[in-house]
Amino acid sequence: MRRSGTPARLRTTPALRLLVVTLLATSVSLAGCGVVPDLPTPVPADITGTARPEPAPTATGNLSPDGFDQAQRMTVRIRNIGCSSLSTGSGFAIDATTLITNRHVVADSAHLQLSTYDGRDVAVTAASTASLADLAVVRTAERLPAAPELADRDPTVGDPVTVVGYPLGGRLTVTSGRVTGRTTDPLHQSLGEVLVTDAPVEPGSSGSAALDAQGRVIGVVYAKDSAGESFLVPVSTVRTMLADASAFTPVPACS
Amino acid sequence: MSLEPPADDGRERARSDADLVPTTALPVVPELLLAGSTDAVPEMPSHRRRRPRIVVALAAAVVVLLGLSGYLVVATRAHEHASVAWRTLAERKADELASTKQDLDGATNELTAVREQLATATTRITELANEKAQIGDEVATQQQLTDYQKRIGAAAATVASALDRCVTAQQTLIGYLRDAASYSSTDLARYSSDVDALCRSAQDANTSLQTELSR
Repeated sequence: MRRSGTPARLRTTPALRLLVVTLLATSVSLAGCGVVPDLPTPVPADITGTARPEPAPTATGNLSPDGFDQAQRMTVRIRNIGCSSLSTGSGFAIDATTLITNRHVVADSAHLQLSTYDGRDVAVTAASTASLADLAVVRTAERLPAAPELADRDPTVGDPVTVVGYPLGGRLTVTSGRVTGRTTDPLHQSLGEVLVTDAPVEPGSSGSAALDAQGRVIGVVYAKDSAGESFLVPVSTVRTMLADASAFTPVPACS
Repeated sequence: MSLEPPADDGRERARSDADLVPTTALPVVPELLLAGSTDAVPEMPSHRRRRPRIVVALAAAVVVLLGLSGYLVVATRAHEHASVAWRTLAERKADELASTKQDLDGATNELTAVREQLATATTRITELANEKAQIGDEVATQQQLTDYQKRIGAAAATVASALDRCVTAQQTLIGYLRDAASYSSTDLARYSSDVDALCRSAQDANTSLQTELSR
């Protein structure tokens, strides 16, 4: 019995050993190699995105309190009631109660009347003009809606320019063009060079702010020629005049 | 548990000290073999020594596999539950997303309408501001015209009054001159001078009127 059973055990032992080794190896490899799945993590009651979506504008919205942009809000219409005449011009605020316009817009006036983009009347407290440039400063009793930033330097040829004003004393109008060059003042009213642009302007646009692409003031419209060119007092001249308090003298009343 | 050798057997002590191994690694030795001489212990066949190891290993493997199978069953059920929960959550989120998208579409439409209304309103405001400015210009012009007409009227009245006084004085002077013998020549000359002054003032008033008219 013993002798006869021994060969059979000897024959099956390697097979069993192989089976055991295979089972063990399979078990260990399944568990060790990560084939056996982990238990699922608890399902949360709610989920949120891993990254919050950033609000992105889908259009160039008009971010202002009333739908008018900064360029429109800062612009004022000037009515010059003279002793025997009436004229209109444009101007723009440089702070809450001060605006810039042209000297010839406020000259020979008995009364100056201002109105804003939304038709609100603003009382004038004082007006003064510069002798070395076609510029004037008007002080107001009430606060002006908005004031732009003056550019640090004059624009160069080819730079875009936007003019906001009241051409022909009509409705508030925005026109655009480019700086086409620099020249001496054709009217001999300003020292130094003035800017030439192809932005359309009309009588009544005098005193309008000329803005760059960032909405900063780069000049003040003061003239046009028959070729359709418009002329600007450059912002460097404006800064120079504003820095010199003695550059402006009160406007004499008409007689 | 360790095997305690007989105290009076020096050879057994020496063997035990030299070959002491953990009993858990050895097959169980029958008790009768420990009492007799080592020469009397029959040599165990190699396959008989290995069989318990194989059985233990096989049992361990079966236990491991049974444990693994049980774990897989539990894991499978857990994953099924998690899958159902995730699907429920996903469906709820899909509903919320659809609702949010619907709200967004509505808000976008409202925003578009509001923008159009705002553009219309700003345009209207600009038009009204322009109309007000034009009316202001008209009023100022009318006021200037009224002031002008007042000045013209006042100047014309002054001219008329001065002319009336001039004419009256000249008529009086003519009457005096017709009866010049009744008056002294000095008085006539003085009166004539006064009449000239009146008429010059009329001329000045007329000049002012013409100046106003020419403005």
